[in-house]
Amino acid sequence: MTRLRIAAIGFVIGIATLLPATECKSQQVDSERRLSAAEGIEFFESKIRPVLVRECYGCHSKNSGKARGGLQLDTKMGALLGGDSGPAIVPGSLEDSPLWSAINYEDFSMPPSKQLSHDIIGDFAAWIEMGAPDPRGQEKIQANATVTAEDIKQGKQFWSFQKPTKPSVPDVQNGQWSEHPIDRFVLQKLEANDLEPAADADPHTLLRRLCFDLIGLPPTGEQIQWFLSQWHQDPDQAVVQAVDFLLDSERFGERWGRHWLDVARYAESSGKEINATFPHAWRYRDYVIDAFNQDKPYDQFVREQIAGDLLPVKTDEDWTENLIATGFLAIGPKTLTEQNPRQFSMDLIDEQIDVATRVVLGISVACARCHDHKFDPIPQSDYYAMAGIFMSTNTYYGTLDTQQNRRPSRLIELPIDDPNSFDRSLSESEIQQLKEQLEQKAAEFQELLQSRRQARRNPESQVNPQNLFRQVAVVRTQMAALESVLESYDEQGQPRSFCMGVQPADRPVNAHLLVRGEIDQPAQEISRGFVQVISGGPIKVRENSTGRLELARWMTSDQNPLTARVMVNRIWQHLLGQGIVETTENFGSTGQPPSHPALLDYLAVSFMESDWSIKSLIRQVATSRTYRMSSQFDAESFDVDPDNRWLWRASPRRLDAEVLRDAMLSISDQLTTERPRASNVAKGGETVVRNGNLRNTADLVLAGSMMARDDRRPMADANSDQMDRRRDFRRRAAARTGRPNVTAISLDPMTDYRSVYLPIVRDNIPRSLAVFDFAESSMVVGQRETSNTPDQGLYFMNNEFVIRQSDLFAQRLLDHSSQVSEQIEQAFLLAYGRPGTEREQAAARDFYDSFETGGNDEAAERLRCLCQAIMAAAEFRISN
Amino acid sequence: MNQPSLIGRPNRRDILQTISCGFGYLAFSGMAAAAAQQERKQAGGPLAPKQPHFQPRAKRVIFLCMRGGPSHVDTFDYKPNLTRDSGKSGKYRGALLGSPWKFAQHGDGGLWISELFPEVGRMADELCLLRGMNCDQPIHPRAMTQMHTGNAQFVRPSLGAWTLYGLGTENDSMPGFISLNPPAGAAQNYGSAFLPAVYQGTNIGRSGRVGSRFGGARGLGSPVPDIRNPRLNKTAQRQQLDFIQQLNAEKLRRDQQQPGVEGIIESYELAFRMQDTLPSLMDIRQESDETRALYGIDENPTDQFGRQCLLARRFVEAGVRFVELTHGSWDHHANLQQQLSNSCSQVDKPIAGLLEDLKRRDLLQDTLVIWAGEFGRTPDAQNGNGRDHNNKGYTSWMAGGGVKGGFSYGTTDEYGYEAVDGKCHIHDWHATILHLLGLDHQQLTYRYAGRDFRLTDVHGNVLTDIIG
Repeated sequence: MTRLRIAAIGFVIGIATLLPATECKSQQVDSERRLSAAEGIEFFESKIRPVLVRECYGCHSKNSGKARGGLQLDTKMGALLGGDSGPAIVPGSLEDSPLWSAINYEDFSMPPSKQLSHDIIGDFAAWIEMGAPDPRGQEKIQANATVTAEDIKQGKQFWSFQKPTKPSVPDVQNGQWSEHPIDRFVLQKLEANDLEPAADADPHTLLRRLCFDLIGLPPTGEQIQWFLSQWHQDPDQAVVQAVDFLLDSERFGERWGRHWLDVARYAESSGKEINATFPHAWRYRDYVIDAFNQDKPYDQFVREQIAGDLLPVKTDEDWTENLIATGFLAIGPKTLTEQNPRQFSMDLIDEQIDVATRVVLGISVACARCHDHKFDPIPQSDYYAMAGIFMSTNTYYGTLDTQQNRRPSRLIELPIDDPNSFDRSLSESEIQQLKEQLEQKAAEFQELLQSRRQARRNPESQVNPQNLFRQVAVVRTQMAALESVLESYDEQGQPRSFCMGVQPADRPVNAHLLVRGEIDQPAQEISRGFVQVISGGPIKVRENSTGRLELARWMTSDQNPLTARVMVNRIWQHLLGQGIVETTENFGSTGQPPSHPALLDYLAVSFMESDWSIKSLIRQVATSRTYRMSSQFDAESFDVDPDNRWLWRASPRRLDAEVLRDAMLSISDQLTTERPRASNVAKGGETVVRNGNLRNTADLVLAGSMMARDDRRPMADANSDQMDRRRDFRRRAAARTGRPNVTAISLDPMTDYRSVYLPIVRDNIPRSLAVFDFAESSMVVGQRETSNTPDQGLYFMNNEFVIRQSDLFAQRLLDHSSQVSEQIEQAFLLAYGRPGTEREQAAARDFYDSFETGGNDEAAERLRCLCQAIMAAAEFRISN
Repeated sequence: MNQPSLIGRPNRRDILQTISCGFGYLAFSGMAAAAAQQERKQAGGPLAPKQPHFQPRAKRVIFLCMRGGPSHVDTFDYKPNLTRDSGKSGKYRGALLGSPWKFAQHGDGGLWISELFPEVGRMADELCLLRGMNCDQPIHPRAMTQMHTGNAQFVRPSLGAWTLYGLGTENDSMPGFISLNPPAGAAQNYGSAFLPAVYQGTNIGRSGRVGSRFGGARGLGSPVPDIRNPRLNKTAQRQQLDFIQQLNAEKLRRDQQQPGVEGIIESYELAFRMQDTLPSLMDIRQESDETRALYGIDENPTDQFGRQCLLARRFVEAGVRFVELTHGSWDHHANLQQQLSNSCSQVDKPIAGLLEDLKRRDLLQDTLVIWAGEFGRTPDAQNGNGRDHNNKGYTSWMAGGGVKGGFSYGTTDEYGYEAVDGKCHIHDWHATILHLLGLDHQQLTYRYAGRDFRLTDVHGNVLTDIIG
């Protein structure tokens, strides 16, 4: 596909190389013109450098702190590397040097204040044609590593960098407790610390725990009944059956997929200053959920996300799926305001390296961007070996090209058509209308540029340059919106289907090591490769290969010491409350050592042996006696092990935000289990988030009201008169095209869908999620916080959604029975998965009898307030 | 409406003791020794007041954030040579633009302040001008992010979050860090990033609502989500809450030891109190006419920012640790003469009123007031009558909280292009603010992703010369 962007500023993310290909060209300069080296330098010093300092450094130098258009002209490297428009100078070629056309006031008009004199322009011509000799900063930098080969060899001895081997199941004293291998490993540690395992949890508690852990929903009344009857026949068998049932449920992927989305820092917008939407990110979300439901082998799951675009496929369906999977590398937060394309590119690459290594390998390589890793033997060169892989990769994330967005990109069109449900088709006349609008705007744009050029050439001109600047910005944004909409449709007005993701660059390159990570301090070139300390031997990336597929295969090889360990540890944490390695993203020397190293290795090897099946592993853990223990407090054990590192009981856990919201919907019998198509963010198309709302760009464009002003300008100075006029303008614009005003799309919609499908826009997380420690969506979050804040109190006491669910819950109880005592009984059973205790029931009855609402429908309101209180109480949000 | 009593509220133990069933307290008194120790370890939770590293000079902060980059050479950095050479060629390009405003010396310290700030000038002997400010970022959003978090590249905790993490808070009926009227898209500037979420700022009155007015009769429908129950009156809600707490206490009794449940019990009581405290604290009708006039409330063009300043005083007085106010925009690329004077006239009286009010209430001595934009502006002209961004040298100031009054620190070159002496990089600025609060910026760390992070990364020098 091609997605045109405004012509003036086109760029590709995966910049080709840090050393410009143009260097070699300088050798081809016509020898006749070539002066001696000394003469060339002399010419530069006398004719060129003073002009650069006087006319250009103000906006294009490190000293002035500015790099307008991404360009810095105070070093040779800067001039050759160029800015947004590519290299500024191509030695020997006037035609290819944007600097030349700029000083001639062609594409750009530089310097903007006044055109250079004819003589000076002539000097530049001579200088460029003689090969642009430039003595500034020519010394080659060779960065020396402080991490030696010996350090790396030593480092390989660290436990987590050694390949796991399957340990034998240990002998224990209390062999009757359990035959299960997991239990033997756990019991061994307990016995070594003079601890005893807690008794089994009662069936109510256990079923509730299983349901929350496996599918994120509370057990229904029927499920409780069924489980109890099975339990009385054979508890072990009951657990096995329940686990199988839950693993087979489609709800499983919605729960476990979300765990993955936490570490994959999933979100549907760029975050940061502009917060442009990612209307196609939901495809990645659904891909993840489906992968968990299908029990896709974990190694394959990782390969698809790191290099899905490069994997061989048989069908377009598989190809589509693999492309969507690479969204993993594209959905991170983006600083779209970054002026310097190389800085942006290196930051993007850094984010990709950071996420890939911390999520999959549980080590942090990104520290080595600026210096050799202080703790683990990861030299800076390892980082730049990986950087070369991602530098040879183009990342596609879209985003609406507004004036402030300096870094929009293209998207990937899917091999098979799969428009989202919000994409209505357009009529031919609508398409035509949009095209005409675009032509009109393009003409307007050219006119504005022309008058801006004239204004610059003629300082006496009456035109206010600030106004002109704004007009250019407005028209550019309007064009971008029109183009964005037009590109989303084919010629017949049918919506096209896109995803976010990556593609290999045309020509793989190596990165240069950057001293202190600074883009203008390149040192030696580093061959593409991986982190040495966890590689078995030296790994070669073929010259014509980006190395990303090799990286994905190396990560998921059964020789890799970390990948399986890291994932089984995550799974263990989600089931037992804490990881065997508590620092789930840090298996390096600064992380916590494993509490049960043999168990970790046993699980890791079993995981690989069972074809990396996540469901098998969960089944194994959930059917262990360790998992089944009660969380009952025991003072003596607590004295020995207050943090429960040795697992003498089950750790009580606060439920995740999604689980709490889904549980309320479930007990009020409102939960819609059907998956909604796409997301509210998709409804808006490519746009920017404003005041917690979105508006659909296509609708705005068709309503003729697309950003009639530069919307990013602060509004603080606008007086009410201006506001009125703006509103009036928009009303008239809408009336003219016969369309109503475009309604806002809520980012916190009142829906009955499962929470995993709520829109996840950075810095605009729905309240029901944000209030209960939702994963910060700009970061890799392996463990969520569990805070207790007054905001949570306000939410449960006063929130509209909570009150609505308590209304419906009460209604459900009224339908269940007309007896208050039975209503109360049922309320506790549904909310807590067990009958209320005597005290709870008595307190509830007291409350019911004495509560005075002063309202009309006294009985219903009493029951509602009772239901709300039961949901608000601690028991509801804790899994015991 | 009566002023809510901020003292004599029942604490958690009282509540549990008075719960009709009366079982909760037993759980506490009968707790195992280890459990008691466990509770002491986290006594009062993560927001309880904490000991600073050393004797603090300031106990709380009011940060007046001037979004857009106010010109220093027209306000607090007097440049006679710029006036003299106005019209001559600038350092890089363009013509120097002398300030159209007159400067005069103010107070016993004789600080040069321009006529744009007559009221703040009156308070000159409280001000400590930092004229050697500089930061790394020449564009707004990134400079704003660096000013707030030290780092424009990655998502990092904000200054307020670090402060709250280091010191806790003193009012158990209010959030410890409040950001009033933050601009849209600035969540990072009051966020906690990898610090626990309890340290993030509570934003009140997001500026999305254009022209939102604080503290009016019906000024703002709901400044904080879910602050009011749509159905129940106070008595009924208390009754419902008592039932919730009964269930919680019963859980605590069954579980014997559960810091999580204790936290929930406390959070409900704070929430219940906040329902009164917050709207009441925000009701500035309780202030005298004289006080309101001091801040320029109910007059143009000071009403809006005056309300925010008065709210800030009410919040810190009530024990809130860190309050940030935002005013914008100061991004004057053109038409400086009119626009800068508009901006100044909106904030001059409110800021002076705030300083004066804090002083007469004896709060200024241990309240650090900070005034800063994300950068300053160029001495040369842009668009003929405006100024471009300048991050190499600009001015911010502090007042109260242990800094020298009537004092100026650092200088820029003769025109104001860049800091040449007494430089204060954003990292130094952060280090100094923490120092005034009794926190060592090198010790205030948080372990994340395998290493200890701090606000100042590996940088930062405390400007000891400015401390009184």
